[in-house]
Amino acid sequence: MSEKVIVIGGGHNGLTAAATLARHGRSVVLLEKRSGLGGLAAPFEIADGYRVPGLLHDTDRFRPAVARALELHQHGLQWRETPRTELGLSAKGRGVLLSSNREAMAQELQQHSPSDVQPYHRLMTFLDSIRHIVEDLFDSPPPAPAKRELGEAIKMLKKGWAFRRLGAETMIEVLRIAPMCIADWLNEHFESAHLKALLASPALLGTWMGPWSAGSTTTWLLDELTRGRAVAGGPAALVDSLRRCAEAAGVEIRTGCPVRHLQLENGRVRGVELESGETIETASVLATTDAQTTFLELIRPADLGVEFAERIANVRSRGLVAKVHLALSGPLENTTRPGSFERMRTGEHVDDLERAFDAVKYRQISERPILDVWVPSLEDSSLAPKGHHVVSILAQFAPYDLEGGWTDAARVTLGDRVVDTLAEYAPGLKKRIVARQVLSPADLEGELGLTGGHLYHGEHALDQLAFLRPVFDCAHYRTPIEGLIVGGSSCHPGGGLTGVPGWLAAKAL
Amino acid sequence: MAHYDAIIIGGGHNGLVSAAVLAKAGRKVLVLERRHVLGGAAVTEEIYPGFKYSVCSYVVSLLRPEIIRELQLPRFGLEILPLDCSFLPLPDGRSLARWGDAERTRAEVSKFSARDAERASQFGHAMVRMGQLVRPILKMVPPSPGSMNPSQLLDLLQLGRRFQGLGPEGLALATKMMTMSAADFLDEWFESEALKAPMSVSGIIGTFQGVRSPGTAYVLLHHYMGEIDGAYRSWGFAKGGTGAISNAIADSARHFGAEIRTEAPIGRVRIEGGKATGVILENGDEIAANVVVSGVDPHRTFLGLVGEEHLDPDLVKRIRRFKMRGSSGKVNLALDRAPSFTCRPGDGPHIRGDIAIAPSIDYLERAYDQAKYGEFSTRPYLNVVIPSLTDPSVAPPGKHVMSCFVQYAPYRIKEGPEHWPEKREAFGDTVVDTLEEYIPDIRDIILHRQVLSPWDLEQEFGLTEGNIFHGELSLEQLFFLRPTADWSRYRTPVRHLWMCGSGTHPGGGIMGAPGWLAAREMLRAGGV
Repeated sequence: MSEKVIVIGGGHNGLTAAATLARHGRSVVLLEKRSGLGGLAAPFEIADGYRVPGLLHDTDRFRPAVARALELHQHGLQWRETPRTELGLSAKGRGVLLSSNREAMAQELQQHSPSDVQPYHRLMTFLDSIRHIVEDLFDSPPPAPAKRELGEAIKMLKKGWAFRRLGAETMIEVLRIAPMCIADWLNEHFESAHLKALLASPALLGTWMGPWSAGSTTTWLLDELTRGRAVAGGPAALVDSLRRCAEAAGVEIRTGCPVRHLQLENGRVRGVELESGETIETASVLATTDAQTTFLELIRPADLGVEFAERIANVRSRGLVAKVHLALSGPLENTTRPGSFERMRTGEHVDDLERAFDAVKYRQISERPILDVWVPSLEDSSLAPKGHHVVSILAQFAPYDLEGGWTDAARVTLGDRVVDTLAEYAPGLKKRIVARQVLSPADLEGELGLTGGHLYHGEHALDQLAFLRPVFDCAHYRTPIEGLIVGGSSCHPGGGLTGVPGWLAAKAL
Repeated sequence: MAHYDAIIIGGGHNGLVSAAVLAKAGRKVLVLERRHVLGGAAVTEEIYPGFKYSVCSYVVSLLRPEIIRELQLPRFGLEILPLDCSFLPLPDGRSLARWGDAERTRAEVSKFSARDAERASQFGHAMVRMGQLVRPILKMVPPSPGSMNPSQLLDLLQLGRRFQGLGPEGLALATKMMTMSAADFLDEWFESEALKAPMSVSGIIGTFQGVRSPGTAYVLLHHYMGEIDGAYRSWGFAKGGTGAISNAIADSARHFGAEIRTEAPIGRVRIEGGKATGVILENGDEIAANVVVSGVDPHRTFLGLVGEEHLDPDLVKRIRRFKMRGSSGKVNLALDRAPSFTCRPGDGPHIRGDIAIAPSIDYLERAYDQAKYGEFSTRPYLNVVIPSLTDPSVAPPGKHVMSCFVQYAPYRIKEGPEHWPEKREAFGDTVVDTLEEYIPDIRDIILHRQVLSPWDLEQEFGLTEGNIFHGELSLEQLFFLRPTADWSRYRTPVRHLWMCGSGTHPGGGIMGAPGWLAAREMLRAGGV
């Protein structure tokens, strides 16, 4: 059987889905709107001769299960063996050097705040005890608690049983902390304010929350417990291996090929109409665009139920992360610690994070944004001319719905605030800036077609995860439209470079 | 030496309910109250001659109908006067009154948004459905998910089935309700700020959260579940002030044989061989009892009355992290005449209900942001009632009492909570300044002002950190986690010591459910 499947979107999930389908013998055509593949994981040019290897920074959440299933190592994927480190920048003092290596981390804490060493070990032990539960949830389709089917009931009981086997104490602890805010939970463990701020930060990416927002412990756990080794070469290398894998499996990849809309007949997919006017007939489409784009733009309103359309419209995807890229004529030096660091982060107190978040509630840019700084040219010198460097910054927070709109002046304000904040720790920075690029959430929407400019295709929140992501009636990849499958970050288990939504959607097909 | 079956610590409404239930079952019960009046935070006091303030708690809706029935409260003087209106004055001269009558409300709402007016009834239906889901939970002793006890497992299974029975759509709504912020939740339904802002505040009352904080949509439901005589969503005043509720329960308890003493502060729970055997009063008197039941909050119960030396250090840690974080204060005013609002001048039914100073979501959120960093809000959310318009018995003829619930007033101001006394009057001024924007001559008609900061609520009423609910109503502190996972079924690690206050399931408000459930569980388990 070689029925044709159209995959819409050539981001990492689209590539994963296409490769998975093709390896299962399907004939697959992948359509990407932009001229290059990769979406948020694609290289991005800052200025002539300078580029960053992807808009998202982290590849350490790409799931080994997906890499194994696609045999990506045969297509060039290599894991980085060195532990991930990140320097918490401090205006005075040595800051904190986070490390994914526990011994290194314990030694660092011994220096930084000795009373936090034991709590750190206790926390790691706790995380280890629940890791397999989260990984299992992450790597398989979400449960369907409202479905009255024997098979589903058995699956639920199995998951429930695994959960119970954690023991009453651990199980209840998970239930207790899940709805908590990350600030409160970290306060229960640690003393160092700087350590808490650094640990709390990742909980916020892809959400619309500050560290004092309830539920941020869940998003923190999802992030932390799904991290492993990073991909050597970063997002661009990941995309390369996915592309090679897809091509090897026979996927026909067409870039620069935007879809106008899906053609439906009696609630069934019949074909895809391209912007060029060309029509491709097919009975199966796997869309990895975000839920709002897929249902509200690619499908005509008349083809969609009113209530369903309203549910999709209600999916919250308020982008509040901006990208700022810098091209530097030399290295990015910092005053916190001697040496060059590939990853650095600002925010010395949880309240710094919260204050930065406060601004977006009133549709303002944070006065002092929280910066997740990456200098990819330290790993890959080809990204900039010799001796020069590129800096990729995820800046939080800048609201999509900025008061007054995203004018050029607003972009300058955002860029200035980001540079000023970073310059507090890197006095020589400003002199070395050769080029500066500011991408507001509105720019990200325009450039990549992300609704609301949201990097995760919809906020991570307790009511927008698992069997409720993106909405309950298409959380299991199938949709009310026969022949249409969804498989982007809008689906379980959500955003970030994991490959899982595309993989699970392809398997569902 | 006197010997009782049960001693109840604290004559708040929950302690009194427990006492009445136990006495009705034939037990010999003694209630000991520290203050000179009964009721705890549900009291009426004449602080200024002729004016009877409902000093703390001021409206009632959640009081369980089975309690009213079983304890025969109307017979002991309980009379609830329903509030028919929720009034929102706006600074721009507009206003919105929401009435008990749906048609009248629709007409008012349609001035702001025709779409919202249409959706209001749909929203009401959804809330009633969710209320029905949650209501049985208010009546049950929380089963522990870690328990292997068959009856608890059965309870859990039934609970699971109830949620499953909602179907996918209902389950999605329930999850949203449990986890979303009040503002986001209402955004899915409505567009007009004038409707969303006053609705969202139910989600934050008594919590240290803002209307944009996830999890506050649930508390919104908590406030929707109120019922008087079976009617959903109705709020009311007790005739004679909130203290009249406590007095009715106390009279019922006495009728069934309970003994009640005021001005009897307790020093400690007497513990012998790991068991509670009675109480030791502050004056050194000892009173023996088979069981001791604490109606005070978990902090005070465990860390104060029991003492850390009798407890496992792990439990002490858990109790310490149980979040109190009082966030509200109270300003009671004696007025020379009824106030007149610029936006809807003169007397009228619109000021006979509750009046919300909550002009927009951003206003409310800004008020919260200040509190997060340790300041009271310079423009707070106010919930104002003028009970004397409905119940003239609480003020001299022609005069009025005005009760203002004020949020946010964080217990932990940045100078430290002990500095609240220096800030108290400035805080009171803020409230009057805020009122003045809507009632320009308010200063001229104030005869007396009583200001209660969270510090005062702690000092005067024994509410730790001034938390009016004996602990925040956040998800991680509810149901089988209230006040802590191992001790959520009214029992404590100290044998023969039980809890019956708002710090236990299902939480705060003049609901009476904790006291009711605790007493029945004691009787069922043969504890007393």
